[in-house]
Amino acid sequence: MDSLIAANIRQRPVRTAISMIGVALGVILIVLTVGLARGLMRDFAERQQNIDAEIKFLPGGSISLSANPLSLPVQFADAIMNGVQQSADDPEVVPKPPIEGIEAISPVGEWVHGGAGGLGFEIIDGIDFPSFTKVASVDIVKGRGLKAGEPYEAIVDGYYAERNKVDVGSEINVLEHKFTVVGIYEPAVMSRVKIPLPTMQDLMGGANDCSHLMIKLKKGANIDRVKAELERYYPGHHVILTKDLPALYSHSIVAVEVFLNAVIGLAVVISTLVILLAMYTTIMERTREIGILKSLGASKRFIVASIEKEAILISALGVALGFIAAVAARYAIVSSTKLVIDLRPEWLLISGLIGIVAGALGALYPAISAAKLDAVEALSYE
Amino acid sequence: MGNESSKLILETVDLKMTYRVGKVDEQALRGVSISVSPGEYVAIVGPSGCGKSTLLHIVGGLLTPTSGLVTVDGAELTSMSDAERTEIRRRKIGFVFQRFNLFPTLTAEGNLKLAERIYQKERNGGADPERRRRILGLLKLENKMHHKPLELSGGEQQRVALARAVVNRPAILLADEPTGNLDSESSAIVLEMLRSLNQEFGQTIVMITHNPEAAASADRIIEMRDGHVVASRVNARKAAP
Repeated sequence: MDSLIAANIRQRPVRTAISMIGVALGVILIVLTVGLARGLMRDFAERQQNIDAEIKFLPGGSISLSANPLSLPVQFADAIMNGVQQSADDPEVVPKPPIEGIEAISPVGEWVHGGAGGLGFEIIDGIDFPSFTKVASVDIVKGRGLKAGEPYEAIVDGYYAERNKVDVGSEINVLEHKFTVVGIYEPAVMSRVKIPLPTMQDLMGGANDCSHLMIKLKKGANIDRVKAELERYYPGHHVILTKDLPALYSHSIVAVEVFLNAVIGLAVVISTLVILLAMYTTIMERTREIGILKSLGASKRFIVASIEKEAILISALGVALGFIAAVAARYAIVSSTKLVIDLRPEWLLISGLIGIVAGALGALYPAISAAKLDAVEALSYE
Repeated sequence: MGNESSKLILETVDLKMTYRVGKVDEQALRGVSISVSPGEYVAIVGPSGCGKSTLLHIVGGLLTPTSGLVTVDGAELTSMSDAERTEIRRRKIGFVFQRFNLFPTLTAEGNLKLAERIYQKERNGGADPERRRRILGLLKLENKMHHKPLELSGGEQQRVALARAVVNRPAILLADEPTGNLDSESSAIVLEMLRSLNQEFGQTIVMITHNPEAAASADRIIEMRDGHVVASRVNARKAAP
């Protein structure tokens, strides 16, 4: 029967090719979508974790882990560090003590814009360079850091510089303005491009506001106490430990998982339908051959198995085609955009299994229909 | 009848078959009783629509009769499930059709191997290479095994179909107008092959035919008309010394 399967596949090259492409599309859809989602999340989480600061202080409301608008007054940094006292200018203010154990606080602005070529997105940090270097151990490996009084300067990390062929002195577009790259830093921390916070505030209209504060504690300070005091004296704000960021990302990944499951479902439907249509058409064409098999004494199980084997073989070829196309597409996308796509063996395996199972599933109805054909009618089929 | 029946390789008793065509019932068989002994070569003749093909399909387990009994090599087909009849067909029956019915995508060898593989699925045994070699020699097919059906003449295709039908040592070979699509020269060769299979392998053959020359090659001729067997006679030419 194996030779009959191989002969059928060879005999109908167009049908075989279309079926393979259908399965391959499903595999590509899964591999690239999952790889893109996982890659971006992993990359962003890793860069968030590289910061030395132990606490991220955000305004109230919903937390967006990808980017936040400028809605937190920068003065919170001073208030947290030095406390708040009533004064003649502001007699209504509720006094707050300085939070003990804090070594440095740096305000950070975050802004998202579309990636190169309209694919993906890019996050820009607006930083106060002197205070930022106290909460993040970044080394300027080439050029210099951001200098006060130079609004249209930017620093980028080594990965960005390499991928975008950017060097010190190059110009990049941020917020529809040209910025000159003055330094390249390592390691990658938070976003890959950093501009002065005052410039971001000017361009976004958020004067004196930031997106969040990064808080670094003194050596030996009790992190839980500091967190508790921040929550006590600044209710309505979010106090997140940076060590918890991966877990928080995991929670935000739940929504991504739903999306990925939808993509997987779509891929299964595509592969199943393509194989179902291809095999159903084939069975119609081969009605007489099914009759011959029955006259030779082939059981229903034998007929179902032979059609399923053919579908699985076509699906396996489609999966192989899908792997090759996905790897090539990943290379092309990663080379021409700033997107990160994780291509992990386990996801290749899973997408391959999904492709083959979908193919087997799609062939089931045609196979059972073929097995149920009346032998005499099938033999007289023209 | 009991002892006699046990010696028969094929027996039908009062076989009736009614088809529903639209709102009308059409009786294709109206009580057909025939018996065939092992090693016999029987031709069933009669005009179109007399029920010959229906009888062959019922005997081959491809159709279920409306009533009556069919016994093939001791197995009573009419009381069996579809799966059991399929097994009987696989183990005991070989078919040859007017239109050859070879798999066009497979070579002659591929067609034979497919039949062997279907048979072995149940039997768990290997093919019988000696029998295969003898059959191919008898049918003069040794040099045609790597050809696909479209590369063979009609006569050659029917010989491949014959080889496929008998390669698994069936109890009965059922031939449905085996010369119906052949010219007279090829017909003569195929009939000679059938005769050789019957004589050299003791193959029981039941053949349906319109062709008087084909019928004349059989040991016995059963004549059907309007769903009945109207005559069964030993072939005078064969019986003659």
